[in-house]
Amino acid sequence: MEHIIEIEHLCKSFGDIKAVQDLSFIVKRGELFAFLGVNGAGKSTTISMLCGQLKKDSGNILVCGENVERNFEKISRKIGVVFQNSVLDVPLSVRDNLRSRASLYGIKGKAFEKRLNELAQLLDFSDLLNRPLNKLSGGQKRRIDIARAILHKPEILILDEPTTGLDPQTRNLLWDVINNLRKEKQMTVFLTTHYMEETADADYIVILDSGKIAAKGTPLSLKNEYAGDYITLYGIDESSVKQLGMPYESIRDAFRISVPNTEKATELILSHPYLFKDYEIIKGKMDDVFLAVTGKKLVGGAEK
Amino acid sequence: MIGFFNMTRRNLRLFFKDKGLFFSTLITPIILLVLYATFLANIYRDSFASALPDGVVIPDELLNGTVVCQLTSSLLAVCCVTVSFCANLIMIWDKANKSINDFTVSPVKHSTLAVSYFVASAVSTLIITFTALGVSLGYVAIIQGWYLSFTDVLWVILDVLLLTLFGTALSSCINFFLSTNGQASAVGTIISAGYGFLCGAYMPISNFSQELQNVLMFLPGTYGTSLLRNHMMRGVFEEMKAYGFPDDVMTGIRDSIDCNLYFNGNEVPVEMMAGVLIGSVLLFTGIFVLMNILKKKR
Repeated sequence: MEHIIEIEHLCKSFGDIKAVQDLSFIVKRGELFAFLGVNGAGKSTTISMLCGQLKKDSGNILVCGENVERNFEKISRKIGVVFQNSVLDVPLSVRDNLRSRASLYGIKGKAFEKRLNELAQLLDFSDLLNRPLNKLSGGQKRRIDIARAILHKPEILILDEPTTGLDPQTRNLLWDVINNLRKEKQMTVFLTTHYMEETADADYIVILDSGKIAAKGTPLSLKNEYAGDYITLYGIDESSVKQLGMPYESIRDAFRISVPNTEKATELILSHPYLFKDYEIIKGKMDDVFLAVTGKKLVGGAEK
Repeated sequence: MIGFFNMTRRNLRLFFKDKGLFFSTLITPIILLVLYATFLANIYRDSFASALPDGVVIPDELLNGTVVCQLTSSLLAVCCVTVSFCANLIMIWDKANKSINDFTVSPVKHSTLAVSYFVASAVSTLIITFTALGVSLGYVAIIQGWYLSFTDVLWVILDVLLLTLFGTALSSCINFFLSTNGQASAVGTIISAGYGFLCGAYMPISNFSQELQNVLMFLPGTYGTSLLRNHMMRGVFEEMKAYGFPDDVMTGIRDSIDCNLYFNGNEVPVEMMAGVLIGSVLLFTGIFVLMNILKKKR
């Protein structure tokens, strides 16, 4: 697959604070790329440099083969950004907001009305067009933010913690839309999020810690490398579980045994087949990966 | 200039959506006029009458015209600049709530954004200053001090336009460095308090020391006030002349209320005053656009 974003040895400091240190990674066209890290890990700084908002100290950023600092005008037509907090004009109506933003890309008149109708259908906000943004709920506002980001049909959609504070139903709706865009338009999605479960569907994940890459890979490779498996064993007593000689915890009607990997789980089952009548093997979660890699838990963006 | 028209429209809508800001800015000149008329009119009248040489008598209507035209020209000179500082807030709001990031990730040119802020601010300020002008002319007519010809009124309209553009250009350059509403409010307060003195509106600069006068003659606002006063009072002076005021008395009056300005000892003609103001508008607007283009990323 074609490389749509290439970042090489990217560095950025603010005084003595090294916000981003020697960052290198590649994003392929059409993939969902997830950027994970606690607040202050360097995610937003990287996004700001990627979007031409901040100057890098050193390194290289190529978007669609173009250098961000030299050819940003070209790149700006290919990226759409959903910022952490909505940056639309709250006193103005949805239509006025989108009209002023569309004009930045030269979309006006009938072309704008056509695009507005498409987006209103896609994101289900046809009934909100004349309502001012300050009369919308958090989820409705987020839909308008996404509509603004994809007004000009960008190739890359950058989502900076897009679902923070949204109810599960709205989060699901947004993810349905984003997944459809990826499938139908081959749109590349660059995501930062605090919700670990949202990274489970990512094609590639980079975990940042203190401005440096702490780990990178597919969800599966990260889980295999940094998080063990769990065997949940049903219909058995505790003395039998102890025979396995592995760490375990008691849950309501079963025992959960931690094993380093699936291979070890298979070995355990084959050596004690009489104990494994009713069981399931579950891969570790991204939370486990994040904890193992950074030594930190990610709760709502804050370090724990 | 992709996006210029819609961005200007957006900036104007944002300004007028804040009805509190719009109406408070709109009524400020009217409140000032009421305050001027209530507290300063009699002082101006007495001071003018007492400054006349012995034996020179002035009819009440002409005295009214002199006082009211001086008052309203001062008021308009101050309002055109101070109101522009109150109206030129959208670019600060955009920085405060980070909307500016939404524009700078798009292909729109920084110069287009700058011009759209300038035009929107100029239009909103003009609506208010022309309202103030209408009220001021109404006040002149009511007080029975109307000596303005149709051409004078056209000149005054042009002066208000020029001074408003000057205020918009100046406020754009200063507000460029501000990024919070608190800073904007502080700067607005300082300008409102100080500009009237600096431009010779509250007190004619001929009353100041020669050194201070020399410094104030380098400020374009001084010429704006004098320009407006010259056009507002032309009819009054014509009437004084017709009434038989001696030339030296006329010159004395004109000097005392800054209708005559002297730069380095030489009298500045009215055309030159307009030229200074137009030049300042072009200079400050150019600086503002240039600052936006050359603004470095952090």
